[in-house]
Amino acid sequence: MKYMLMMNTPRDGYAKYMSWPKQLIAANTDFMRAFSRKLAEAGELVSAMGLESPVQARLVRAGDDGRPITDGVFPETKEFLAGYWIVQVDSAARAYEIAAEASTAPGMGDSPLMIEVREVMSGPPRDSA
Amino acid sequence: MKYILMMQFPLGDWKTKSIEAWPPQDVKAHIDFLRRFNKELNDAGEFVRTEGLGGPEQMKIVRAQKDGTPAITDGPFPESKEVLAGYWIIDVETPQRAFELAARASAAPGPGGVPLNMPIEVRPVMMSSVSGEI
Repeated sequence: MKYMLMMNTPRDGYAKYMSWPKQLIAANTDFMRAFSRKLAEAGELVSAMGLESPVQARLVRAGDDGRPITDGVFPETKEFLAGYWIVQVDSAARAYEIAAEASTAPGMGDSPLMIEVREVMSGPPRDSA
Repeated sequence: MKYILMMQFPLGDWKTKSIEAWPPQDVKAHIDFLRRFNKELNDAGEFVRTEGLGGPEQMKIVRAQKDGTPAITDGPFPESKEVLAGYWIIDVETPQRAFELAARASAAPGPGGVPLNMPIEVRPVMMSSVSGEI
């Protein structure tokens, strides 16, 4: 079974991160690197991505002629995706264990991060991909 | 440059308007579109990966307790208005190309074959890993 573990951030999360003491940023980066390596070595990592700040996000829709209409992000959105892991595991319980470990990444807050866990569907067929 | 295209679905409409509630022929038209779209991306060398996600009723929020064991609550967050239904990672030359592809994805056929014109959130990817090396 595949699960997506999503790390969210408030709109100003990236700016706050950049204002952390250098040592804390280094500790956070080291944690993320070691965590991904451990998952990879266990054969549980499918993919991991970190995203740029939501300041750079755009919402895109097709216009009547199919051309893109771009806009800023939803004004009422409070939480943005900062990054994610896709893991391949035998049980939901294992996905939750991994998410709990991800939530202990070093940061400024007193309490661990919250990680959203979603099951990945077998996905649209990729045919010749 | 890598970008993520995120299909954001209005959470309040999930039960009545998500693909699980569509007639079979409309589901088929949608899947056929996705298959063609993914093949085109792949042929153009722009495809990195795509996933569809399970519904919000299965979503959990997890954080570590003091002893490191998971504390699990049902998601989504109460303040959430959208839910991620699926995404593509693409590798393209310009943001404009990412927007063009997002517009294509936005126009995927929905009920009755009418374009969904759903909003696609487009974000640059900062770093990626498949091997543990970020």
